[in-house]
Amino acid sequence: MLSNILLKNLRDQRKSFMWWSIGISALIILTILFYPSFADSPEFDDILDNMPEALAKLFVGAVSDLTSPEGYLNSQLFVLLVPLLFMFFAIARGSGAIAGEEEKGTLDLLLSYPLKRSRVLIEKFAAMVVTILAMAFVFWLSIAVGAVAIGMDISLWRVAEATLSGVFLGLAFGTLALALGCANSNRGLSIGVASALGVAAYFLNALAPVVDALEPLQKLSLFYYYIEADPLSNGLDLGHVGVLLGLTGILLSVALVTFNRRDLVT
Amino acid sequence: MTNRVIHTENLTKFYGKHRGLIDLNFEVRAGEVVGYLGPNGSGKSTTIRLLLDFIRPTKGRAEVFGMDVRAYSVDIRRRVGYLPGELVLYENLTGREMLVHLASLRGGVDWKYAEALAERLELDLSRSIKTLSKGNKQKVGLVQAFMHQPELLLLDEPTSGLDPLMQQEFYLMAREATAEGRTVFLSSHVLAEVERIADRVGIIREGKLVLEEEVATLKAKALRQLEMHFATSVPAEAFTGLPGVRDIRVENGIVHCTIEGSVDALVKAAAQFEVVNITSHEPDLEEIFLAYYTECDNHAE
Repeated sequence: MLSNILLKNLRDQRKSFMWWSIGISALIILTILFYPSFADSPEFDDILDNMPEALAKLFVGAVSDLTSPEGYLNSQLFVLLVPLLFMFFAIARGSGAIAGEEEKGTLDLLLSYPLKRSRVLIEKFAAMVVTILAMAFVFWLSIAVGAVAIGMDISLWRVAEATLSGVFLGLAFGTLALALGCANSNRGLSIGVASALGVAAYFLNALAPVVDALEPLQKLSLFYYYIEADPLSNGLDLGHVGVLLGLTGILLSVALVTFNRRDLVT
Repeated sequence: MTNRVIHTENLTKFYGKHRGLIDLNFEVRAGEVVGYLGPNGSGKSTTIRLLLDFIRPTKGRAEVFGMDVRAYSVDIRRRVGYLPGELVLYENLTGREMLVHLASLRGGVDWKYAEALAERLELDLSRSIKTLSKGNKQKVGLVQAFMHQPELLLLDEPTSGLDPLMQQEFYLMAREATAEGRTVFLSSHVLAEVERIADRVGIIREGKLVLEEEVATLKAKALRQLEMHFATSVPAEAFTGLPGVRDIRVENGIVHCTIEGSVDALVKAAAQFEVVNITSHEPDLEEIFLAYYTECDNHAE
């Protein structure tokens, strides 16, 4: 596990990954175990009807019925929890990749070895992708276990697509944090800026349908590309996936260029 | 020119308006131990970090093994062992895991040799790095710098944190490396250390190389305090005007003086009297260094 930077970085995350996994699977399985009692109470849909529209958009998105399996999972998991979870998890990894190592002071030693800076960066990026995918798998598996346990009528394939949509969203923000860290070596700043942009993007996408002034700006929010097509019900929209992955690619290129150019900080 | 390991031309680095290094022209030849001497913040680390392409020159250029440090950094780093001035290791690993990881980044090293180095430095590789003292961490740093038997060692303050016994061991390791034709470039603010192991010394101050000299020449040029005891009282005139001799004081058959360079003329002059004893205080670089800095300060005023 120490034979290259990618594996070493995965090894470093063993413990934190284990705790994340335990937390996520517990949360998801509990959520799903609640579903049968929820589905038996159609009055929950009335609550939704009576809720102010802006509030509903913020917390349950465009979901129109809370008691169908898709409606329940979307409102409980995929509208708010999944994207923020993947986003913050990825930002933590992305900001640590270069700026974290630089702040700790280990980057000097690492780069005195015969490795191109771009190689180090790509391995760190790959470690981030692998960790996010692994977390997505734990996530999907927990839903699958819960769904089978209560006999929920949901396509596990669609669950995988919706989860992947979260992975792509997370990757875009994680790579943003990575690029910020590559540009200025300050981990805190990289976390702060990426998170602030992420939260702003969430509100922009949630409120745009009900706030006229924000409506034309909705497509600037990455959350639009994550959830608008409702991947849990309809599958992934390739155009939207393309936007998220394309942006990730651009940010990675920016990270490579800026990191190659600048002076390392002691 | 093939034995020119490091070569810089007007190498200059500004950090914003702050000057890190100014117009450095310097050379290190194969098989030498070169000491790079100066107070903290004088530009020693800046020079080493420029050679490793961690930072980019504002002006000028540098070559290592005849290759441009910007264009051929990876090739250069393959043949260099580096010890950072502020060494930080991965705290979650043991010494052995750290070295295994680093060795694999070089595509493997002779592991027996690496373990032998650790043993020489009395370093316990099975201990977690977060439990190691500063000195023991420094040993891990030394082992990783030496373990692939690099042609050039760039060592930034290599003995910091080491106890005197381990410092001796390090000096031996450096000497063995040069005996095999490898080259050592080390920075230090400890003068005695550079005097002890370097063939040549560069003194740097506020980003400028102020002196570059063989250690032996530097010592020969240095002022020495000499004290001669005679059986009878002697006249001061017998010693005045001799080359290199100054500050003569004579009292009751004891002559005190300061001498620069060869003592030959002085000893011959003394031979006409009955000499009981001669004591010479061997100068160390510290005095030379301080004398040099005082001189600079005087000029500056």
